Amino acid sequence: MPLVLVSILLPLVAAALLLFLPRGDRALSRLLGTAVAAITFATVLAGGTADWSLHWLSRPFVSAFHFGATPISFWIALLLTLCTACAIAAARVERLRDFVALLLALEGTMLGLFLSRDLLVFALFWDLMLVPVFFALVGWGEHPATAWRYFIYNFAGGLTLLLATAAFGVIYGTTDVIGLPGVALAGGWAPWIFAGFAFAFLVKTPVWPLHTWMPPTYADLPSPMTSVVAGVQSKAGLYGFLAIATAMMPGVLYRHAAPLIVLALISLVYGALVALVQNDVKRIVAYSSLSHLGLIVLAIAIGNRLALEGALVYIIAHGLFSAVLFLVLGYVEEREETRALPRLGGLGWRNPRLSGALCIAALAALGLPGLAGFAGELLILIGVYQNGYVWPAIVALVAIVLASAYMLRLYQGIMNGPQRTDLPVRADLTWIEGLAVAPLLAALVLLGVYPKPLLDNAAITTVQSGPLP
Amino acid sequence: MTLSFTNADWNAIAPIDILAAAGLAVLLADLFAGRKQWRYASIVIGLLGVLVAAIVAGRQFGHQYDAFFGGFMTGGFATVFEEIVLIGTAGSLLLYSTIGPGPRVAGTVAIMLWSACGAMLMAGAANLIAIFLGLELLSLGLYALCAAVDRKTARESALKYLILSSTATAFLLFGAALLFGATGSVMLADLLNPSLASSPLFWMGAGMFLIGLVFKLSLVPFHTWTPDVFEGAPLPVTAFMSVVTKAGALAVFARFTYAALPAGVGAKLLLPVWIVAAISMIVGNVGMLAQTDLKRLLAYSGIAQIGYIVVALAGGTPLGLRYAIYYLTAYAFMNLGAFAVAAAISGPDDEEGSRLSSYRGLARRRPWLAAAMTIFLLALSGLPPTAGFLGKILILAVTVANGYIWLAAALIAGTAISLYAYAKVIRAMYAPEEGRQGGDLRPFVPLAWASAAVCAVAVIAMTFYPLTPSNILPLVR
Repeated sequence: MPLVLVSILLPLVAAALLLFLPRGDRALSRLLGTAVAAITFATVLAGGTADWSLHWLSRPFVSAFHFGATPISFWIALLLTLCTACAIAAARVERLRDFVALLLALEGTMLGLFLSRDLLVFALFWDLMLVPVFFALVGWGEHPATAWRYFIYNFAGGLTLLLATAAFGVIYGTTDVIGLPGVALAGGWAPWIFAGFAFAFLVKTPVWPLHTWMPPTYADLPSPMTSVVAGVQSKAGLYGFLAIATAMMPGVLYRHAAPLIVLALISLVYGALVALVQNDVKRIVAYSSLSHLGLIVLAIAIGNRLALEGALVYIIAHGLFSAVLFLVLGYVEEREETRALPRLGGLGWRNPRLSGALCIAALAALGLPGLAGFAGELLILIGVYQNGYVWPAIVALVAIVLASAYMLRLYQGIMNGPQRTDLPVRADLTWIEGLAVAPLLAALVLLGVYPKPLLDNAAITTVQSGPLP
Repeated sequence: MTLSFTNADWNAIAPIDILAAAGLAVLLADLFAGRKQWRYASIVIGLLGVLVAAIVAGRQFGHQYDAFFGGFMTGGFATVFEEIVLIGTAGSLLLYSTIGPGPRVAGTVAIMLWSACGAMLMAGAANLIAIFLGLELLSLGLYALCAAVDRKTARESALKYLILSSTATAFLLFGAALLFGATGSVMLADLLNPSLASSPLFWMGAGMFLIGLVFKLSLVPFHTWTPDVFEGAPLPVTAFMSVVTKAGALAVFARFTYAALPAGVGAKLLLPVWIVAAISMIVGNVGMLAQTDLKRLLAYSGIAQIGYIVVALAGGTPLGLRYAIYYLTAYAFMNLGAFAVAAAISGPDDEEGSRLSSYRGLARRRPWLAAAMTIFLLALSGLPPTAGFLGKILILAVTVANGYIWLAAALIAGTAISLYAYAKVIRAMYAPEEGRQGGDLRPFVPLAWASAAVCAVAVIAMTFYPLTPSNILPLVR
């Protein structure tokens, strides 16, 4: 069996089998889940970019179950499998067996999305990956409305994606096109098809004003699931832009870049400003995500080589540091039984390891040189400036400066200051909890010092090299 | 003209005869069983009859034959619809294993089999008289079936269905009479004459004929009877109506629109139908939102789902017809499966399976049933990995290719609305159990569970093996 198929099916099958385990055996569920996710990581790594295909439809357009990593999706798949393994290792919620099964199902469906080489299969997994999150929100969330908001927003995006895919298939004759060089869609329909794709991607990312589902979803989900959703699922839209919009409709993207740039800049600034005043620690990171991902959308809309390479680096970097941030905030919430920033404080005295993990992740998020976030931000800003977009570059820079403010506010609010006597006192990170965030932190440092493997990516197609028409 | 029928003519309607004979056998067996209250005997005999009929009908596939001088066409299109009708009948019969008026269900089973004969006749009917005959046979049985339990809502349901369905039949019959007046022939094939395009009699006749059909398909604005009738009728009858009646009406609609309209008339005559289908997709899905009863929910859902299927026929391409049939088959499995789950959690009366509140916390009590129900609801809302997803994208593709982009947009909008209603049930099933009164576990019902399992497997397998019949044309000679 080809490795790429193994890596998609293994988590899905394991998720189903896990439900036969005894309900109460928490350690076993966690151990098996982590092992499966780790093996999946290994198969993705070993599978490389080899592909596998099975014929599906021949009418009304050709379509196949075609899986295989492209040089872009290979990195995102690695990020996903790493994040999932860490999230399962760190998971301590109630009804753990079912939760681990959902995380594995989420991993399998998202791997299917990132590794699919066929647009219709991409659309299939796009809808499918909503289901585990919906179930997690139903079973573990605090407010029922959040599950609806998440599902309906993203399903609406999935439907326009479906319509665009159908139209693409009818016009182009085949949907087996992801990662194929030389696919170009033009003509009167192209802008509408692009709009269908773009709406789905912008909802998923999300971008202002389509972001309202995101903060409550991130806050309500149990932290391990949030770290996967915020770290990797939010990249599905950006990956879609890179693999579909820039690769197949560069002309359309070039002509319609202006609204994208405006939305991206609004998200950048709005997200940063709201993150400054939020009091729920998970919502602070959620809004910071809105701001950071706006930067990537900006890079994609600019579309020159430097910006797109920066976008890829920042996709991975953001995935890593937001996964760590949410995991660590989960640890904090578990220890102090609150997420309200004004009530927290002084944890750093007794929890040096917890404080260290949060510190590195927060520094990566605010773009400290030497960590992966910096490399991405720098490349994107240079790329934006290179195309003559001086003002957007300045606005983006202001938002990045704001990032230091809200990240330091978050860190100081939790770790510094006098110790709170009214909050419970619990032990520092256990070695399992530490081990769960260590690989992510290591990857942050590694890619910050040596981002070269991500650069010179053969799969990146530039959209334009000059200023807007 | 002397009427001389050959053996081949009788062979063509053999599946219908077998089903009718099975109905008689059910009654006879019940007679000999005497006082022994033997519910399963009736169901098993009925299922055997359906199975034999399905095999006999299946053997006709690919052998085109126009029986009775072109009045009943078999071999392709008709065979496929006959099989769908038989699937629907089998799925509905199974539900009598838990639900029914007392322990003896022979009478109702027999009537259901005979009703199915009517739907099968509609599947192959290629002249106006055969269409009317099939429709009446189907409907007459249903009036009795709706009233076959002793409760007020059932009687109300039967009466409503009787009155409204008769009105629809009157439209259809009057339309048929006008068409006969315009052509001097009852054959659908004779409607293909291009000179009819200038005959006002033809336009009026075709219009009224279509109104009758749209009524039977329960598209807006002729949809208001569906929720009330579905709610009152016993669960197996609701399942039967939601699949078999619609399959029969759809067969006639497809044959009429594809093969019985003169050149150049279709686009003008059928435009109102497409508009009505678009409105149905929206109204049906909006109507679902406020429902607290599964049967009403699925009634509104059916209004929208039939809208999706009708949309596939817009443009009149063979591919569209194939995808309509694909979606109809998928729809049959989704609906039958959902009703099977409802039957499995119900007692002898179907109250409990109908109330949506009794699905609360089902995942704890009956995880497998909840999983199956989730699959059916995901399929109805068009989410992967189910046949509903593939069916929708195929219909979208063919609609876009035919240039009906506004219909595709309406389909998308309707689907987006519908998600909330379906996911509400899913959420209730998986949400922690609280505030649910009573609800001792119903015993394991093998037939209903098996039906749900088969439907769930079919709904998923159809995604990966999208078999769509290729030789379904020609529809008329």
